[in-house]
Amino acid sequence: MDYKKEYLDIAGYAVERAGKAGRSAGAPVEAEAYVSDTESIQVNVSAGAVEQMNAVKEAGIGVRVLREGKMAFGSTNDLSKKAVGELVDGLVKKVVYHTADEFNVIPGPAEGGLSAGTAGYTDLGSYDDQVTAVPVQEKIRMALRMEAAGLAYSPRIAGSMMAVYQDGTSYTYIANSNGVGGWFRQSGVGAGAEFTAAEGEARESGSYQNGYVKWADFDAEAIGRRAAENAVSMLGAKPVASAEMPLVVSPEIGVQLWSFIAGMLSADEVQKGRSLFAGKEGTAVAAGSFTLIDDGRFKGGTGTAPVDGEGVATQTTPLIVDGTLKTFLYDCYSAKKGKARSTGNRSRGGYSSSGGVGTTNLYLKPGEIEPEAILAGIDRGFYLTVVLGLFAAIDAASGDFSIPSAGFMIEKGRKTYPVRGVTIGGNLFELLKSVEKVGSDLTWFQSLGSPTVSVSHVKLGGS
Amino acid sequence: MSKKFLSRRAFIGSGAAGLTSIAFSSALLEALLSSTGCKTGPGGLAAADVIIPDDILAKAVSHLMAKGADFGDVYVERAAFDSVMSDDRKINTTTTIEKGVGLRAVKEGRTFYAYTDSFEPERIYETARYVADAAAAPASSSAPPVITLAPLSSTLSFPITPLPSEIAVDAKIETFKALMDRAWSADPRVVQALQLLREIIRQVNIATSDGRIVRQTLGLTEIIAQTYVKGADGQLQAAWDQRGAYAGRDFFTGPNAFEKIVDAAAAKAVKLLEAVDSPRGVFPVVLGPGMNGVLFHESCGHGMEADLVFKGSNYKGQIGKQTAAKGVTLIDDGTIPQFPGSYAFDDEGTPSERTVLVEDGVQRNYMCDKIWGAKLGLPSTGSGRRQSFRYPPIPRMRNTFIDKGPVPAADIVAGTKRGIYIADVSGGGQVDVITGNFMMGVGEGYLIENGRITRPIKGATISGMGVEAMKSIDRVGDDLALFPSAGRCGKMQSAPVGFGMPTIRVRNILVGGKGEAWTDIEGDKGGK
Repeated sequence: MDYKKEYLDIAGYAVERAGKAGRSAGAPVEAEAYVSDTESIQVNVSAGAVEQMNAVKEAGIGVRVLREGKMAFGSTNDLSKKAVGELVDGLVKKVVYHTADEFNVIPGPAEGGLSAGTAGYTDLGSYDDQVTAVPVQEKIRMALRMEAAGLAYSPRIAGSMMAVYQDGTSYTYIANSNGVGGWFRQSGVGAGAEFTAAEGEARESGSYQNGYVKWADFDAEAIGRRAAENAVSMLGAKPVASAEMPLVVSPEIGVQLWSFIAGMLSADEVQKGRSLFAGKEGTAVAAGSFTLIDDGRFKGGTGTAPVDGEGVATQTTPLIVDGTLKTFLYDCYSAKKGKARSTGNRSRGGYSSSGGVGTTNLYLKPGEIEPEAILAGIDRGFYLTVVLGLFAAIDAASGDFSIPSAGFMIEKGRKTYPVRGVTIGGNLFELLKSVEKVGSDLTWFQSLGSPTVSVSHVKLGGS
Repeated sequence: MSKKFLSRRAFIGSGAAGLTSIAFSSALLEALLSSTGCKTGPGGLAAADVIIPDDILAKAVSHLMAKGADFGDVYVERAAFDSVMSDDRKINTTTTIEKGVGLRAVKEGRTFYAYTDSFEPERIYETARYVADAAAAPASSSAPPVITLAPLSSTLSFPITPLPSEIAVDAKIETFKALMDRAWSADPRVVQALQLLREIIRQVNIATSDGRIVRQTLGLTEIIAQTYVKGADGQLQAAWDQRGAYAGRDFFTGPNAFEKIVDAAAAKAVKLLEAVDSPRGVFPVVLGPGMNGVLFHESCGHGMEADLVFKGSNYKGQIGKQTAAKGVTLIDDGTIPQFPGSYAFDDEGTPSERTVLVEDGVQRNYMCDKIWGAKLGLPSTGSGRRQSFRYPPIPRMRNTFIDKGPVPAADIVAGTKRGIYIADVSGGGQVDVITGNFMMGVGEGYLIENGRITRPIKGATISGMGVEAMKSIDRVGDDLALFPSAGRCGKMQSAPVGFGMPTIRVRNILVGGKGEAWTDIEGDKGGK
């Protein structure tokens, strides 16, 4: 896949056209255009053969116009001048009905907006041309090998539920009326599998998935084996009696928890009164061992990009340092409102969404202790490996949670039998403060990373 | 690109979190509709619904079939999405116009798919040849077959009244501003409120290698409201309500009026301020009528979709066998007028129908599209749906509900000594669609003490296995209510769906909460 100058040109055209429409309406109009051009392959295999293959090539444009404090957004996948012109003209007319908001902003250099033009933004290792260069037959073979590796993992593996290979590459082009503009590219390759395991009457399923920037980092067979291992290890799982006990959070679940917390650290949520972290800057919100970082420039991260969704430079943002809340995540709107600077966290799902505050590469800073040593310190506890409906089970307004879970009992410092049919209950803010040990085993799942973490107590609800 | 990678689990009704991404301008929509002349949006055949003429569609299908595919279809779509949203008292609109052509070839049960965003015949043919090559059987290079297309018509129709383009932008904003003001003044404790109105027009042309051609236009209107309140003690609570229909605004009257939805969100949030922590343990749960049907959509419905049956869900090989308690009938109906899962034809051109899945506790059928139905040896039930031209169709639910039973609804709570009553499971949820292992958050719930609904509860979740929950239903009420939902089902692709059920009781289910642990609960106050 290649850089296409015509896409940078159409973005520039949309911006110019908005200015022109504004001039003929007698009002100054600022504008921003965001073009994304993506290519992707998805292959589902089943029983040693392709079940479904989907090839995607798509480009589209999203435009924001700002007129007298009012902002409107629109998008289309028709990149002809005619269609883009009509879209822009419509937006410039319609925006007058919106609510004016003094914090609306199209960034310029003063807000951290970067200009790179046709040369493109600095490459931070977020693209690997192997991802499109590898022939599709080889990609299909990868998916088949992943399934085969899982099926061969153990005689107790009963079947394959899902084996999916997926990759994608994208070029993003940005232009705005304040001189910000340029382009960058990203790639991703990954796979996911799910297997069932059976022994006697017992039947369990287990899954695993991960994704990478580089083709060379992608190991399909390892993903298949890991999914199969997750199924087999749960065989014989049963509920346990309700009790309060220490909790060990696996990296898989850790990343989901920290991601949820990062959502509440969005300045936008805080300013709208929807986050309980409001007003807590500079105070202790977590145990001293807890340091949470968002890093948009992390080399090789799947969430890495030189600029965010509105052309502002990305950065490393320590959110919680040694338990103390340092800052929130900002885009330009929330920064202007909060009298702060954008942290480069405007996140967009693609050209058809104007986006909002989001994370880039989010991780919990690892500690010194080996995960085995964390377990060794626990006489009776619960090792959490599976949660169901995490985002629904945590009440963002109060932090209260009751999460249906599965995992393993810890007895005398070791993982013992598998457990399911239990819930863990508590409050997220209390949980952050009761974090005890943070392991050395930082593990990445795409753009989220966490080591193993122990928490002093949690309510386990069971039979 | 890679962030939402591969989630196979289905999410539904997960609050207002997914609200920000869809949009359109009335001007553009008007342009779209006036260019087609479509003023009523009939579900059947009308010249107005033509996007691409028959001869080009027929040629595209013949390219798809040229290398020995067993089946092929062309799906042409153009759509306009218009949304008005108020967040933090700021009203904004968004606009999206999209078009594309999806091309599918199926060979020996395998699906090969690609799409183009161009309506140029040569680009469509080129994409068709790419797909045909991918699906090619060795040594088959015959000349493209000649495909003759015959139009299908239906008695079902889904008028859009009024068309979104018939309401002026300023009038639309005025209506919406009144809703915003209503939400903020609902209670002095309101600290934040969000409302979203989304209108979507989808125009679709489908041509298949078995000679069918379908052209239809659907208009979807959805309203969602979410309100945050803050109590005197500083606690923050949020609740939401929503409705959706394949219809224009005329549908939204009575219990479905926009005002009712905004009021309900505030009322539920306020109630949570006085709520006690939910008890936890395994005990009886009474589910109120209507939208709680989402629970069975999640925990059982998915397992009855042909693709998941084929892959080994709990319902595999169960036709004719007991999969639910006696007295329980589960139906998936794609023909209920105006409901969000209804349509004249599915997205592979099969007429929609009312499908009885479970009858008096016995499994009768599954939800089938052409491809997965064939793998099970069953005909399509008109359940092949797709989110857009970007996706091949897969078996999906439409409007899924438990049919009414014989028990007077009031007797169900009265006959339950201790447990919880769930008015609304809208706290979001997740299910493992293969095993039916589910979790649902409770949006509005109450304690049942000595046969009476007493204090509101908060933080409750229910979880378990769908098939077990269906088997442990021991009361089915006589008060069936159908709920036109704006909740999208998210099984790999998003699709509008409806739900329903009467009041029912599940004898034993795992309830999670921060409150006291309940053990040794006797469900019945008296005998049956």
